[in-house]
Amino acid sequence: MSEVILQDVAKHYGDFVAVENMSLRIADGELVALLGPSGCGKTTTLRMIAGFVDATNGRISVGGRDVTGLPPSRRNMGIVFQNYALFPHMTVAENVAFGLEMRKVSKVDAVKRVDEALARVRLDQYGDRLPKQLSGGQQQRVALARALVIEPEVLLLDEPLSNLDAALRHQMKIEIRQLQQSLGLTTVFVTHDQDEAMSTADRMVLMYKGKVEQVGPPAEVFGRPRSAFAAGFLGIPNLLAGQVTAEGFVLESGMRLALSGQGGLAGRCFLALRPEEIALATDPLPPDSNALPGKVLIMTYHGSSVEYQIATEAGPVLSARVRAPGLGGQPVLPGGTSVWVHWPATAGVLVNEH
Amino acid sequence: MSMSDNVAPLARPCAPDPRPRRRIGRPVLTAPALLVVTIGLLTPLALMLRNSFNRFDPTELMISAFTAENYVKFFTDAFYQEVLLRTLGISALSTAICLSAGVPVAYFLARHVSALAKRILLIVILVPLLIGNAVRTSAWMLILNDRGVLASVLGYFGYEGQLGIMYSATAVTIGLVSVLLPFMIITLNSVFEAIDANLEEAGSSLGAGHLTVMRRIVLPLALPGILAGTVLCFILSMNAYATPVLLGGPTFHMMAPTVYQQVAKAMNWPFGSALAFILMSVTLILTVGVSALVQRKYRRWSE
Repeated sequence: MSEVILQDVAKHYGDFVAVENMSLRIADGELVALLGPSGCGKTTTLRMIAGFVDATNGRISVGGRDVTGLPPSRRNMGIVFQNYALFPHMTVAENVAFGLEMRKVSKVDAVKRVDEALARVRLDQYGDRLPKQLSGGQQQRVALARALVIEPEVLLLDEPLSNLDAALRHQMKIEIRQLQQSLGLTTVFVTHDQDEAMSTADRMVLMYKGKVEQVGPPAEVFGRPRSAFAAGFLGIPNLLAGQVTAEGFVLESGMRLALSGQGGLAGRCFLALRPEEIALATDPLPPDSNALPGKVLIMTYHGSSVEYQIATEAGPVLSARVRAPGLGGQPVLPGGTSVWVHWPATAGVLVNEH
Repeated sequence: MSMSDNVAPLARPCAPDPRPRRRIGRPVLTAPALLVVTIGLLTPLALMLRNSFNRFDPTELMISAFTAENYVKFFTDAFYQEVLLRTLGISALSTAICLSAGVPVAYFLARHVSALAKRILLIVILVPLLIGNAVRTSAWMLILNDRGVLASVLGYFGYEGQLGIMYSATAVTIGLVSVLLPFMIITLNSVFEAIDANLEEAGSSLGAGHLTVMRRIVLPLALPGILAGTVLCFILSMNAYATPVLLGGPTFHMMAPTVYQQVAKAMNWPFGSALAFILMSVTLILTVGVSALVQRKYRRWSE
């Protein structure tokens, strides 16, 4: 069992609080993604788990063993760095063998395990190469093999995909997930990319300014963001400020919108609307539907969809994402076109400011 | 304008410019430096090489000739060989001290000091180089002589004996180290800074302790830079002049002062030139030899 428990873990640099009293329990074999913008404390948290940074406060335990004061060399964790950090003066096989050598594994055994580890990441032919002779994706896989060959209790991934191009990133995402599941490895994955986090993680920990903003399975966090920050970070750019009243959601302009089933919040809050939930109409709509008149500011094309920025008369600029004309969507609306943005009463999530 | 027209120059900044462009540039721009090197360095060197084959006469001084007698004199006179050996020994010792003292300081500066503190510390380290050679060495004379600062400090703590540091190999070594250490630290610091700290973290996460990380990861990667610093210190101390003269005194002979003595005092230009060439050759052979050895070992990945 290698359950990781963070108990009131904090890191202060002078007056600056990088991570504030964070408590988190990562189950054995679970992949948890620490997600957030840069400076949110996710990397500091990972580095405290790895032992590169001493926690100012709190305790970290792995599989029931308190590792808080242990140096990284005695924590038995496999780490993949953003820049891979392969030893440039060692061959691929020497890189992978390094951790085994430190563990005094016999030569014969080590050779066998290095071969297995390289085969696992489909690099068995590359043992004699130097890291710089490999592509970014291959280096990434060497880093993974090097971290896995020591049979770590915990795998730590620090933005492992951010140096790869889009196609490779997608492929590695799947590979990492497969490896992690087949090995049943407790894994912490740090990323600023919500898509990476959602597609790999069992649970996401959304962090902001050193604090945990929201924790939960990807579908839950994505479906029900708790705060304006969470909504914004998870790709909901449309936040309408207003009040929840008995009649529905009243915008600052006094306009009343219908709600249905959002629940939970009362008083001042935000209605977060996904661009995909918003439809556009060129003809006026009945006055009591959720519709705001506006003008098209700009259109951006995204292949399967088209995104419009609409300046509403009520004030805020809204993003609406509709199906591309080629796929059966409505014809493209040029800038300046008068439109009505509308959405069903069930659309949108109510979120707090914080 | 189509999309690709817009993007092409950005995506391929090295694409050939369609406009014809005159390439004055590289060869012309190197001319001033080339001129200075030729006139200021190669010409005197050639002249000196020629002089070293001339004959010396006490009354007529230099007589044009083509003889190896100056070199024969060096290799048959034990005194001069001893001077060369002493120079080599002192240089090797000073370089070794600089290396062993410089590595920890440079590493510490590169890894464990904030940017501001580092800037201040580097300036402090550079201060000895801001003071003239003769002035700094005179200060060492005031410190090291038998009635000097060090003697009175030791006397305060009850030390009664003679210091006897002044005018000795020890004094010269202290003087040389004090000049050379800044060079070593500055060189090594940039070397350590260039090594990705993640490599060390990767090493320690794989189970290596501090010493193993140093031995297996940092030092191999720093080796070319360590070599550069070592060569720099060694060359500078091989050619040191003011320090051996002022701190070594009249009976302590090293190569550079001996060259000066031959050329300026004995007016024996041919032998002085020969000595200078021997000094240069020995330094060159040693540094090139060591560099080649080290680099051959690490060429595999450093290229």
